[in-house]
Amino acid sequence: MAITGNQAGPQTIAAVGEGPPTEVVRLGTAKGNWFRRVGWSHLVGVLALVFSLFPILFVVSAALNPVGTLSSSQLLPTRMSLDNFGAILSGSFPRWFWNSLLIGVLSAALSMFISACAAFAFSRFRFTGRRAGLLAVLLIQLFPQFLAIVALYLIFADITNLWPAIGLNSIWGLLLLYLGGALGVNTWLMKGFFDTIPKDLDESAKVDGASHAQVFFGIILPLVRPILAVTGLLGFIAAVNEFLIASVFLTDDSVKTAAVGLYGLVADPQTANANFGLFAAGAVILAVPTVALFQFLQRYIVGGLTAGAVKG
Amino acid sequence: MAEVVLDKVNKLYENGFHAVQDLDLDIADGEFLVLVGPSGCGKSTALRMVAGLEDITTGTLRIGDRVVNTLSSRDRDIAMVFQSYALYPHMSVADNIAYGLKLRRMDKQEIEQRVHRAAGMLELGHLLDRKPKQLSGGQRQRVAMGRAIVREPQVFLMDEPLSNLDAKLRVQMRAEIAQIQRDLDVTTIYVTHDQTEAMTMGDRIALMKAGVLQQVGNPQHIYDSPDNIFVAGFIGSPPMNMAIGSVERGATGYLLRLGSAVLSLPESVLADRPALAGYAGRDVAVGVRSEDMEDASLARDAAPDARIRARVTLTEALGSEIVVHFCVDAPKVETADTKELERDARTEDLPASQQGTPFVAAFAPRSRVRPGDDIEIAVDRERLHFFDPQTNLAIRS
Repeated sequence: MAITGNQAGPQTIAAVGEGPPTEVVRLGTAKGNWFRRVGWSHLVGVLALVFSLFPILFVVSAALNPVGTLSSSQLLPTRMSLDNFGAILSGSFPRWFWNSLLIGVLSAALSMFISACAAFAFSRFRFTGRRAGLLAVLLIQLFPQFLAIVALYLIFADITNLWPAIGLNSIWGLLLLYLGGALGVNTWLMKGFFDTIPKDLDESAKVDGASHAQVFFGIILPLVRPILAVTGLLGFIAAVNEFLIASVFLTDDSVKTAAVGLYGLVADPQTANANFGLFAAGAVILAVPTVALFQFLQRYIVGGLTAGAVKG
Repeated sequence: MAEVVLDKVNKLYENGFHAVQDLDLDIADGEFLVLVGPSGCGKSTALRMVAGLEDITTGTLRIGDRVVNTLSSRDRDIAMVFQSYALYPHMSVADNIAYGLKLRRMDKQEIEQRVHRAAGMLELGHLLDRKPKQLSGGQRQRVAMGRAIVREPQVFLMDEPLSNLDAKLRVQMRAEIAQIQRDLDVTTIYVTHDQTEAMTMGDRIALMKAGVLQQVGNPQHIYDSPDNIFVAGFIGSPPMNMAIGSVERGATGYLLRLGSAVLSLPESVLADRPALAGYAGRDVAVGVRSEDMEDASLARDAAPDARIRARVTLTEALGSEIVVHFCVDAPKVETADTKELERDARTEDLPASQQGTPFVAAFAPRSRVRPGDDIEIAVDRERLHFFDPQTNLAIRS
C-alpha cells in the first residue's frame, strides 16, 4: 500500500503489489468546495459576533470619549481618555453600584436557596396540595410582576408607614419584592433538575441515618450545583438590570440602584446629551460584575442550561 | 444482630393496589433469607417496608425486640444495598463508605479504622480516593457493600444488588456476598428475581407471587417438594416439566396415564402421597424435573412401565450433560400459576407450536440421541410431582 499526498487536499491510497487492477480510494472527498461545507457557518458566526459586539463597542467608545456627548460619539473614538470614569466614580455612582451589587447578590442567593427548598419539597415529597401548589406557582408566574405594580406600591406605602426599613425607598423592601418575583420560575427550573437525581440516593442516605435536612444539604445540593449556578446567575442579572420597579420604589439618591441612577443622568432632556459619556462609563463598570460572574460560573452553566432545558 | 419478624404485614396503596398481603416471615438471627419472585410480586415492597422506606399499612414488624413500624429508617439500625448502588457521585469511595458513620458523629479514628477494614475485606483499598464514576460496575457494587458493612448494622437489606452486573461477575459476587454474610453473621434479607441466586445464596428462600407468600423453606426442600405449581415452575433451571395426566386404578396398583404413555406408580409413590389415591379417575398435573429422566438405552434396568416414548426435537450438548428437547403427547397444564410463570418468562405470547407439551430432559453425556430420533425415556417415578390442576396445590396427604 502506498499513500500519496494530493495537493488538492484529499489523499489517495493506491493498492500496490499483487493483483493487476489497482483500485484508487479517495479519502476525505466531499461534495462542494470549502465554503459550502464549512465556510458558511463561519460567516454566520462572524455576522452574529458583529451584531452583538456593535452596541458594546459603541458604549465602550462613548465611555472613553472625553467630549462625552451623544452627538459627538463615534464608533471608533478619535481621542481616548478615562475622564468619564473618573467623573462618574466621584459622584453618587459608587453608592448606586454598591446598592445594585447588594441587591443582586442577596436576591440571587436568597431566591436560589428558597427555590431550592421549594423544589426539593415538590420533587421529593408527596403531600396534599402538591399538584395545586405547583400549578399555582406556574400560573402566578404567567402574569408579569409589572401588572401588580400599582397594588405593590399601595402595599409598600402602607408598610412604609408601619416599618420604614422594608418600605419604599429602601433596598430591603425592593429585595423582598425581587425574592417573590423570582420564586416561581426558579422553582420549576430546579424541580425539573431535582427530578433527574435518582431517588435511590435520598433513600440510601436516609438508611445511612440522614435526616431530611442532611439529605438536602449533604447529598442533593452538591449534585444540583449546575442549576444553582444558572438560577443564581439569572437572578443576579435580573436584579441588577431591573429598572421599572426599582425606579418606582427608589427615589432617594442614596438608595438608587445603578440602573435607576444612570437613567437619571440621561433622563433630563436638558442634560441628556452632555451626560452621555458618564452614562456609558457607568454602564461599562456595571457590566464588570456580571461578566466576572459568568466567567466564574461558566463550567456549571453549560451543563445546567441544557440539563434544565431537556429534563425540566 | 437481631431477628426480623413480619407479622401479617400488608401494603395497600391508595389506588387500591394490594402489593403485599398478610406476609408472615420469621427471620432468625444471622440468617440469610432470600425473597424471590417474579417482578411485581411485592418482594421489593416488602423489603422497603423493613427498611422504613414504605409505610406499613397493617401488621407488625419487629427487629430484635423492638416494634419498628413507625420508626424512621435511621433509627432501625439497618443497612441497605440498592440495585442501582446509589453511591453519592460527589463523594470519594472513602467518603461514601464513611458517610453513615459521620452522620452518627463517630470518632474520626474509629471511622478511618472501620473504613479501612471494610475496604480491605472488599479489596477496595487502592480505590478509596476515586469517585464512583471512575469505577467499574463490579467495583461500584463493592463500594455499595462496603457502605453497608462498615455500619455493622443489625440487619442487611439487599435489593437485587447483582442485577446490573454481567453474568460472570455476578457469579463471583454471589459467592463473595454469601461469604461476607457468613463471616459477619448479620441477619440478611436479599431480594432477587433470579432463582439461581435464591438457590445458591440463601439459608432459606421465601417465594412470593402477586403479593402473597407461596412457600418458605431451605432451597433444597423447596426444590424437592414445591407446595404448588407456581413454586415448582419458578424454582429450578430448566423449569420443571409439567403436563396433564390422569391417575387410574389398575389391576395391580395405580397407573398414571400421560398422553399415550402409561406408567405404573410404585407403592412408595402412593405411600408418600396418600392423597393421590383420591384422584383416581381424575386429571392431575404431573411434574418431572429434567434430571429425573434418562435415556432408556442407558438405563437398561428401568422397568418397561416406567418409560415414555417421544421424538427428539433438539439436543444441546453441554459436556457434562445433554439437554434433550422432546414433545409429550399430553395436554399442557394451564392454570393461573402457569400463566403467571409464562408472564414472568415472557413466553406468554409465543405461539403454541405443536400439539402436546414440550419437555426438557438432561441425559448423561454418553447418550447418543440425535434430533429426529424416536427414543424411550426412563422416568424416575419416585421423583414425580403431582398437583391438583384446580387448586394448583401439591397432592401429598
